[in-house]
Amino acid sequence: MFELDLRSRAPIYEQLVAKIKELIVTNVLKPDEKLPTVRMLASELTINPNTVQKAYRELEYRGYVYSVPGKGNFVKPNVAKDNALRMQTLEKELVRIMAEMIYLGMTPREIIALVPTEDQGGNVND
Amino acid sequence: MIEVERVSKQFMDIEALHDVTLSVHKGSIYGLVGSNGAGKTTLLKILAGIYKQDGGEIAIDSQPVFENNSVKARTAFIPDFLYYFHNYTIQDMATFYSRIYPQWQQERYQKLQEVFNIPVKRRIKTLSKGMQRQVAFWLGLSILPDVMILDEPLDGLDPVMRQKVKSLIIQDVAERAMTVIISSHNLRDLEDICDYIGILHQGKILIQKDLDDLKADVHKVQVAFSGDTPPTLIQDMHSLYHEKRGSVSILIVRGSYDEIIQQVQAYHPAILDILPLTLEEIFIYEMGDNGYEIKNICY
Repeated sequence: MFELDLRSRAPIYEQLVAKIKELIVTNVLKPDEKLPTVRMLASELTINPNTVQKAYRELEYRGYVYSVPGKGNFVKPNVAKDNALRMQTLEKELVRIMAEMIYLGMTPREIIALVPTEDQGGNVND
Repeated sequence: MIEVERVSKQFMDIEALHDVTLSVHKGSIYGLVGSNGAGKTTLLKILAGIYKQDGGEIAIDSQPVFENNSVKARTAFIPDFLYYFHNYTIQDMATFYSRIYPQWQQERYQKLQEVFNIPVKRRIKTLSKGMQRQVAFWLGLSILPDVMILDEPLDGLDPVMRQKVKSLIIQDVAERAMTVIISSHNLRDLEDICDYIGILHQGKILIQKDLDDLKADVHKVQVAFSGDTPPTLIQDMHSLYHEKRGSVSILIVRGSYDEIIQQVQAYHPAILDILPLTLEEIFIYEMGDNGYEIKNICY
């Protein structure tokens, strides 16, 4: 389904959370779609099953997935709601990044040109 | 579940283990790392019931291990130096195992042949080092162990086989909640499959922690200033280690990402990078704290 960067410094469960979140936000994983089982994902990526479990719990806590006992984990429909806090931190980060870009010589106009318009779609990178 | 409570072991006047306490939960993979001669193999051999500890308690599922057949029947131990009977073929060895281990599963043994793909009629002594190791995993996994004790298990396996073996172990952990304790020097190998890490040094456990917590707890900060580096910065940060490379200061700091970023931002740095440490770096800095330095050799 996806690859992890095992050479990256970021903890594996954080990478997993970020990857799955990305797939949900970009609608690759559809609402109510079943996520791969812990066992499958763990052996596919050769990572510890407990790490996968932990990532799923974290995603559930953050409201991206829901679990049905005995059935597995599913993508939660309309994730939008309780994202206010996350939006705030993202906004702060963005301000910080833009400040750095301006400091490094980029003009506000050039930064605005990076904002994806509706027909292009977003280009999500790390 | 494996419980080790204040275990010590002495060989003549060498103290191999001193008051070692650790526990491995059911269905967890515990990575044991340490300097050369730290006592890893001794600890694993005590866990496997080969040595008897001088002091302290060891229990697997609340039962003592030494001379306890019911525990040993459910434990697979792969030592660093493998031993096979002279002139035995893989098939002979499998027959031997099937008589010794009550949980032996012939079906699994045959299925695993597809994975390892070594003719069972081959005499084990004629196989290469890596292939002998594959046989150890093949036989070990065929007894459907509840506990696996692995001493440098991936040594000598090629990258493809490494992945295969890891994924076989992971399947058993996920499906049957097998408990694994694994020692290795190759910290990259441990980073992906372990969820718990213990560092052993001179017979003592220096640190043991959930791997993700371990990584979230310590960060590497690279910071540079347009003017001089504020002298108070280094004191303020309570760094474990700091070093200056040109105008860039490198600090190893305990604390969460957010805390550190706030603290350093207060000094208005020109460049600020905060990275989680790799397991290798955690190992090196923790060891450096304990007088086991890398520095003068490397630089």
